[in-house]
Amino acid sequence: MKMKFSINGLSLLVALFLCLALAAAAKTGNGKEKGKDTSAAAVTVNHNAQDDTMRLEGEKRFHSNCGRCHAAPPKFPPRTMATIVRHMRVRATLTDEEMHLILHYMTQ
Amino acid sequence: MRTLVWAKRVAHACLLLFLGLSSIGAHGQDEEIKPVPILVGYPAYFTRVTGGQVQDAPSFSPLLLVPLGDKWLIEAKGNLSDTYAKNAKGDYIGTVSYGLGYAQIDYIANRFVTVAAGRFITPFGIYGERLAPNWVRALQVSPLTGPITSGSSLGGMLRGGFPAGTDKINLNYAFYFSTVNTNHLLATDRSTGGRIGFFMPGPRLEIGASFQQLLQLDRSHAVGLHAEWQPNALPLTLRSEYARSSGIKGSGYWIESVYRLNQLPYLRRLEVAGRAQQFFAAPKLTKAVAAKLGALGRDTNQADFGLNYYLRSDVRASASYGRQFALGKNANIWVIGMTYRFIMPLAPTSGAKGGAL
Repeated sequence: MKMKFSINGLSLLVALFLCLALAAAAKTGNGKEKGKDTSAAAVTVNHNAQDDTMRLEGEKRFHSNCGRCHAAPPKFPPRTMATIVRHMRVRATLTDEEMHLILHYMTQ
Repeated sequence: MRTLVWAKRVAHACLLLFLGLSSIGAHGQDEEIKPVPILVGYPAYFTRVTGGQVQDAPSFSPLLLVPLGDKWLIEAKGNLSDTYAKNAKGDYIGTVSYGLGYAQIDYIANRFVTVAAGRFITPFGIYGERLAPNWVRALQVSPLTGPITSGSSLGGMLRGGFPAGTDKINLNYAFYFSTVNTNHLLATDRSTGGRIGFFMPGPRLEIGASFQQLLQLDRSHAVGLHAEWQPNALPLTLRSEYARSSGIKGSGYWIESVYRLNQLPYLRRLEVAGRAQQFFAAPKLTKAVAAKLGALGRDTNQADFGLNYYLRSDVRASASYGRQFALGKNANIWVIGMTYRFIMPLAPTSGAKGGAL
């Protein structure tokens, strides 16, 4: 009888331990998932920040280069814009970086 | 519970993969945009009154741009105009003129060098290459220094622009060699030369110099200086060129300012332009040579003032008045007219991944 209580008690302890272990595991898992959420958010933030930086830099280059000779044109479809920017790279001797930044800005 | 956890993990992995790919896509986005052939055109109609002589000149300048792959570009620009003026009998007669501004193929070899071949605008100063199109120029009257050098060349050219060791200064250059062509429509001189410029994006200032050596006739050479400045605080452009020939074509300079009235609500589409210029004929010209040179054979001072109004971003109305002072040839120059600029893709523009030709 005493043995039965012991087994029951042991089972209870094991069950309790398992519950605690699962809870801990679940907690750890949640922590990992939170970490993943954070890294995903960080990637998004980084991407957005980089995109914004490129766009702003592109806008700056657009005004400092294109505005030197002519009025600012409207934005055209990306594939049309790509031809215009290549033409301007040759005609106005834009640098490679300026060409990419301006194209990025004009196709956003 | 376990299934739920795995589902969450897979979902997160997919999200991360998507974000990662989006990021990579964003980095390579510009490269993925495949350019299409386009036709650009500048139809224009201007009425010009020079010393009481009226000229009506409708014109059209089509520009064809054909990109090939990632590094090639074919550029061809034509000019067609019909100038109506009264002849000696008082009849209103039209004279058609046409020509080929340039027809060149460009190969972007790397970030430093672009190789061009064919007929191209001579890289001397900034007016001919950058500011000459009707749509672009602030004043329709051309500078007097234009004819000092050959406007077009036939041959090969190396050009490019890159940061000069720092992001604060960009170096741009163009060096060429041209052969002679005696065709009356495509005439070019045998010559060589180039231009080098330093552009500072911060203060938006460019200064540069040009050189041309004629390899025929009197084997004269020409040198030029140019500067352009757009203050950050104002919608103002100041530009200037100086050119001097060692031969019989004299020397001269012009200074131009263009101010866009951005700050005035009802006039923000209006642009005010002014130019002052002086031309000095070469000394010791005989009367016969001076007569043959025409405008290049006499000292001339000229001042122009003009207005440009952008009815839309692609339609511009222009008017200008100028006063030319030349010995025995003082004249008022009135110009009024309109320019339209269109850009027409010659292939479907939908879908960034479509192949170029």
